[in-house]
Amino acid sequence: MIDWPAVFEAELLRLGLQPGRARQLSEEATQEAADHAGTPADLFGPAHLYARHLVAELNAPDDQRGRQRYAPGPVFLSLAGVTKRYRRYTVFSGVDLTLRGGEVAAIVGANGCGKSTLLRICAGLTRPSSGAVRRTRRVGFVPQDGGTAGWLTAEEHFTLFGAAAGMVPGRARSTGVHLATRLAWRPSRRQRAQQLSGGTRQKLNLVLGELHAPDLLLLDEPYQGFDQGTYLDFWQQVFAWRDAGRAVVVVTHLLHDLQNVDHVLDLGGGGDR
Amino acid sequence: MTAFVVANLSTREVGRRWAALLLVAGLPLWFYLVRRDLAGQSTRMLTLGIGWAVSTLTLFVVNASRSVDPRLRLAGASVVSIIGGRLIAMTGVGLALVVGYWMLVGFDQDVLHLWAAGLMMLLTALVAAPLGSLIGALLPRELEGALALLSVCAVQMLADPAGTIAKVMPFWSAREVGTYAIDGGSLEMVWRGLAHAGVVWLLGTAGTLAIFQWRLRIARYPEP
Amino acid sequence: MMSRPWLHGFLDLCLLAMLRERADYGYGLSQRLAAAGVADVPGGTLYPALLRLEQQGLALPSWGPSETGPRRKYYAITPAGIDVLTGQADEWSRFRDGVDSLLAAAVQTVHREQR
Repeated sequence: MIDWPAVFEAELLRLGLQPGRARQLSEEATQEAADHAGTPADLFGPAHLYARHLVAELNAPDDQRGRQRYAPGPVFLSLAGVTKRYRRYTVFSGVDLTLRGGEVAAIVGANGCGKSTLLRICAGLTRPSSGAVRRTRRVGFVPQDGGTAGWLTAEEHFTLFGAAAGMVPGRARSTGVHLATRLAWRPSRRQRAQQLSGGTRQKLNLVLGELHAPDLLLLDEPYQGFDQGTYLDFWQQVFAWRDAGRAVVVVTHLLHDLQNVDHVLDLGGGGDR
Repeated sequence: MTAFVVANLSTREVGRRWAALLLVAGLPLWFYLVRRDLAGQSTRMLTLGIGWAVSTLTLFVVNASRSVDPRLRLAGASVVSIIGGRLIAMTGVGLALVVGYWMLVGFDQDVLHLWAAGLMMLLTALVAAPLGSLIGALLPRELEGALALLSVCAVQMLADPAGTIAKVMPFWSAREVGTYAIDGGSLEMVWRGLAHAGVVWLLGTAGTLAIFQWRLRIARYPEP
Repeated sequence: MMSRPWLHGFLDLCLLAMLRERADYGYGLSQRLAAAGVADVPGGTLYPALLRLEQQGLALPSWGPSETGPRRKYYAITPAGIDVLTGQADEWSRFRDGVDSLLAAAVQTVHREQR
């Protein structure tokens, strides 16, 4: 059997844990197995499965008594009666939301019911047909895919996006690399964006979205099913942002356990209302 | 300044596509070689080749960055710095071509006013980038944009220089200054050429910026 | 298999109670649970539960020597943990009394039918 602790630690790193913590958990698991006079595989099962289970358990919602809840911050986004119409066709109408720092809003609904359009309205890339939108100026946008320059390397992306936000190239690069490390990714200096695997490109998109430390993050959930090696626990990052006091809006295309989310905007099945 | 960072990275991006670069840089050469025996024809065709190559390059660069530009806008960049940066980069590529080919013409041909030949190429390169970006701004699909550019360049090449159509074409300045460079004549031609190039450059640049100001508009929401 | 939040509450209660009695390490707690006839909790459930208690500040880890090699991780209950334990123990008592009363009623019915 391959080295259980090594596989365990590697999987924890992949799931976004800090290297020190991952190593610590791996050592503890080894010790615990020794106490039981068995192998870790006997006690915990396959290493990569236990790692996923452990991380899920640690992130699972605490029952009311134990839960650490940060007080919500200032309002970073407010929607009042937002409606979008294309000629005669109403995509959605009367959407209301008041989103504060430290909160997460999820936009759900069937395909084609305008989830991405609503997100783009929040960003300002599209205007609503009616209704009022108020938004903080510091906003980050992470598209479902695309939104990168295929021929540039990751660090060059950091420089470009940083410059757009007024950051000096050196600082933009170091910030980007630091944020990438938090996602358990060390950007290669040589690889261009189009050569990156799907999961790594997702990480690049996430870093570019938060590079300039925005207060509000607007995310279109990426497609699942990328290569195993670089799969990122997308929602883990969402909740990390929430805990850091940012406001996050996520368009989610899959059925999720939305218990942890503060607001759910259900756009329904689409079509005229 | 943001525009210079954009320009720098745009140049790098293009520089990685070396097959495309070779073709772009080589296009004027084929035009030149085909007419090498005639000083006038070869130099003019060379110049037109430079114009075509640079405008095509700019067209594609502008279209390729469609998905990135809105994100840059959201991060805080102005349209001027984004589009301006790209124009600066592509003009730079054009200038590099001009330097190289001007030296070629200097060695290989016997031109009456060599400096005017250089000026002709310079004006063409300067005008080509905004032309390409304007077409890219108007026709965001690559095929349509390329076909439009192709039509413009073809008409440019085939139109009777004395007729009115030729005067409306973007690279007419090359013809004017070129005639002076090869055959000599009044310096008036050079001034006319400069004026024409100036107008085309202004229209192209202003038009591009205006259209992208509209395309890349971000709603200005008040703070909550 | 019990649903997750249910098992969590149940398991956490037992762990906190045992830790209140005395600090212990993972394997020791597992043995005590089995000895009390409560459950045969697999390692993959027990250890994450202990980590969650630690994460929530209800248990404090410390390291002691062990015979088998690297240091062994001991858990001790914290004042916050004692609070949570008291609250959960109350809830458990009420719950258990309620179930007992229902069962008692059912047993009486069975006896009546058997006569």
